[in-house]
Amino acid sequence: MKKLVPIFSILAAVGFAVSLYEIFVVTPIEVSIDRSTGRLMASSLFFNYKIMYFHVAHAFWLFCAVFVAGIGSALYLKTQNPKWDDIASAAVEVSVAFGAVVLVTGSIWARAAWGVWWHWEPRLTMSLLLWIVLVGYMLVRRFAGPSGDRIAAGMAIFGMIGVPFIYVLVGSDSHPNSGANGVVATLPPDMRLAFWLSVASFLLWFLALMLTRLDSTRAERELRELRERALDLGVL
Amino acid sequence: MNKLVLAAIVMFSLGARADTPPPAPAPAPTTANAALEQQCRDALNADPAFEKAIANKIGIQLDEETLKVHEAADAQVKMNERHVIYAYAAMWVVAALFLIYLLFRQQALKSEIAALRKDLEAAAK
Repeated sequence: MKKLVPIFSILAAVGFAVSLYEIFVVTPIEVSIDRSTGRLMASSLFFNYKIMYFHVAHAFWLFCAVFVAGIGSALYLKTQNPKWDDIASAAVEVSVAFGAVVLVTGSIWARAAWGVWWHWEPRLTMSLLLWIVLVGYMLVRRFAGPSGDRIAAGMAIFGMIGVPFIYVLVGSDSHPNSGANGVVATLPPDMRLAFWLSVASFLLWFLALMLTRLDSTRAERELRELRERALDLGVL
Repeated sequence: MNKLVLAAIVMFSLGARADTPPPAPAPAPTTANAALEQQCRDALNADPAFEKAIANKIGIQLDEETLKVHEAADAQVKMNERHVIYAYAAMWVVAALFLIYLLFRQQALKSEIAALRKDLEAAAK
């Protein structure tokens, strides 16, 4: 598994370089003018829409990571197998990083498109709450003592339940739509390649980070076991 | 470029004026400035050089207004570009920070594990 990290990283770098070319050179900027009023239509895609190619890609893998964490945590609570806890913990840390990218790039995009850094509309607020839950998971694991991993597992399941609300169920008054009639599902053909290439590159990046983090989670477990042995032998 | 476009517009409008049939007689003056308007119209019709000077003046004013519109559009485009750059930079800053955090953590864990193993081996002997 560890050998896959450099392979994924190199493939992600190549994919990202190609997707940058596609995003900034190939994909068009679409400006539509309403002939009756002579004004620009709200559906126009100005240069700032290019943030979408990695903002949405990060959101996809954020949601995926939260699902991995939730399912891993559920399996850990059921089987008590630490392997699942390791996977959940690694997925949450990566999802915190991806969530930070989603929130920061979304905020910058909002400033460019709407003129405000933040808007308290349902999807944005739910996304922020999900991120806070994920940060809470990490804090609980660190500070809640011996039962912290089980409390954190409950939080990961709670976070996972929130994802469908953000993606599909919650209505949105300014954020572009998602789901079956959303922006991604209705992308024009000349934007699809750049978008899916970007999504694939960030999947490889996500997997590389997950495997690296998983490796250090295992090292943490090994360290805990060594400490216990050292305490038993009176070394510590 | 803008000036050329505006010059073309002014020339086109003057040319179009020459091509069009003579206008219907002006309606009877109804405003207080009607006499002045008529005087201005007569002066323009009488002296082509004066008409040209006025057209140039209007052209310059139009040019300035167009320039303002273009400057506003240019500022908008630059703001867009700046925000796209900010967003890309933010993404890589977060990625780099996370990577550095992972590497430092991994390094610290490895060295601690190695030190503990060494101590345990020494204690076992």
